[in-house]
Amino acid sequence: MHLLTLLRPAAYLDPGSGSYLLQLLVAAVLGAGLAVRMYWGRIKTIFGRKNPDELTENPTDKPDELTDKPDEQ
Amino acid sequence: MSSDPARLGASFRDPSGYLFQRDGRLYRQVNRAYQADFDRLLTSGLYDELVNAGLLIRHTESGAAPHDPSLGYRVIEPEPVPFISYPYEWSFGQLQAAALATLEIQKRALAKGMSLKDSSAYNIQFHRGRPVLIDTLSFEAYREGEPWDAYRQFCQHFLAPLALMAHTDIRLGQLLRVYIDGIPLDLASRLLPRKTRLSFSLLSHLHLHAASQKRYADKIVDRKQVRRRMSRTSFLGLIDNLASTTRNLTWKPAGTEWGSYYTVHNYTQAGLAHKQQVVDRFLDLSTPQTVWDLGANTGLFSQQASRRGIATVAFDIDPAAVELNYRDSTSRADAHMLPLVSDLTNPSPALGWSNRERMSLLDRAPADAVLALALVHHLAIGNNLPLPEVARFFSQLAPWLLVEFVPKRDSQVQRMLATRVDIFDRYDRPGFELAFGQHYRIEEAIDLQDSERTLYLLQRS
Repeated sequence: MHLLTLLRPAAYLDPGSGSYLLQLLVAAVLGAGLAVRMYWGRIKTIFGRKNPDELTENPTDKPDELTDKPDEQ
Repeated sequence: MSSDPARLGASFRDPSGYLFQRDGRLYRQVNRAYQADFDRLLTSGLYDELVNAGLLIRHTESGAAPHDPSLGYRVIEPEPVPFISYPYEWSFGQLQAAALATLEIQKRALAKGMSLKDSSAYNIQFHRGRPVLIDTLSFEAYREGEPWDAYRQFCQHFLAPLALMAHTDIRLGQLLRVYIDGIPLDLASRLLPRKTRLSFSLLSHLHLHAASQKRYADKIVDRKQVRRRMSRTSFLGLIDNLASTTRNLTWKPAGTEWGSYYTVHNYTQAGLAHKQQVVDRFLDLSTPQTVWDLGANTGLFSQQASRRGIATVAFDIDPAAVELNYRDSTSRADAHMLPLVSDLTNPSPALGWSNRERMSLLDRAPADAVLALALVHHLAIGNNLPLPEVARFFSQLAPWLLVEFVPKRDSQVQRMLATRVDIFDRYDRPGFELAFGQHYRIEEAIDLQDSERTLYLLQRS
C-alpha cells in the first residue's frame, strides 16, 4: 500500500477509507439501478406507454446529465 | 482553536470560517480560504434557491469588520434562530425531517454544481417549524467523479440513529448525546435486529458499511489504485436511495408513558376550559416573547402561546408525546412551536470539546415565561426533589412562572403515593407558597374549577 491520498486538500472531514470504498461500490449499484429505470422509462415512452413518474423534460439527455428526481423505489 | 470568548464554541473544525459575537449580535466570518466556494454559492443561484425553499438560513452581508482580519474575506450576519436545539432532543420525526432536508439540499446543490462537504445533524436547526441548514459555509464545488465526503457522517448522524429508533428502541436516539459525531456504525450494526440485514439499503449503508470500516481501519489506501470513480448518476442514485431509506423508516408513537395522557387525566371539560383561561390570563399578564412549557405533553397548552406568535419550546420527557406534538404542529403549519424531548431531572448538559460545543439547557435560558402545569408533583413526589429546590431551578429559567400545585388529595398524587411511604411533610399549599415565595411574588393564585388544584401566576422578585 502507498501513500494515503484519499483526501483532497480542501476536505476537512475524513471520509474514512472503509466508508470511501463501500460508498463507491454501493453507489455503482444504485447508479446502475437509476440508469436502468431512466432508460426503461424512455423505452416505455417510445412505445407510447407514458409513465408520468418517469417523464423527463428533455428525453435526449443522457442519464449522466439528469438531475431530475427519479421515481422512488 | 482560539480561546477568544467572542468566538463560539460550536464552530471551529471547519477552516472555511466561524461564528463570533459582537455587541450582542451573531456574525459568521468567511475566511479567504473559502472565498471561491462562497462566491460560487451566491453566483450559482443556489443560495437564493435554498433560502426561498426554506432550506438554508438567510443572511445579510454585514459591513462589520472581520473578527480576524488576517483570515477574513467577508462577514455575514445570519438570521437569528430563537432557540438552538440538538439531535438528542429531537423526536424521531424531527430527526427524519432534518435528514431529508439535508438530502434535498445536497440534491439541489448537485444540480447547481456544488456539494455538501459535511452532513452534520448539528448544522440543522428547527426554524419557524421547519428544518433549516444554518451553516452557510457547508458547500463546495462538486468535482465530477468524486464521491461524497459526508457519506459516513450522514450514516452516523442520521441513518444509524433513525434505524435504531425505528427497529430496536426509540430511546436509543439518546446515544447521540454520548457520541457527538454520530453513532458508531459497528455499534449500530450490533444493536440492530437481524431482519434489517434483509433490506438492501440498511444492509449496505449500515451493516456492510460498518464491516468495511473495520476491514480498512488500519490500512492505507492509495487512491491511484482505486480505479473506480463515482459518476453523477451514481451520486444521484446514492442520494435518492438514502432519501427513500430514510423515508421508509417509521416509528409509531404509542405505548409510552404519556401518549394517552389527555384521555386519562382527571379534569372535567369545565376544568380544562378554566385551565386554558388561566393560561391565557398569564400570557396577557407576562406578555412574553419566548415561552418554555415544561412537561408540555402533546402541547395542548403550549399551543395557546405559539398561536399568539410567541416562540414556544414544549419540553416533555416522553418521545411519543413530543412526536405527536411535532406532527400536530407540522400539520397546523405552526411556525412558533418547537417540541423537544427533555428529562428535567437530567437536562441536556454542556457537551463536546472544552464542554463548549453544545450548550446545556441552562446555557440556553432565560425564556421570558415558563409554564409548569401538572409537573411539580412529579418532581417533588416522583423524584424526591424538595420544593425549595424546584422553586430555585424554575427561577433560573424565566422571570415569569405559571405553576400548578397538585395537592396530596388529588387522585394523581394518591396514585404516586400508593406504593411508597409518604415522607413529604412539607408538600402542602403553605409549604409550596413558602418555597416559591423565596424567589417569586405571587401575582394571583387561582383555584381550578372541579379540582383540588391551584394555579399560581408568579413574577420573580
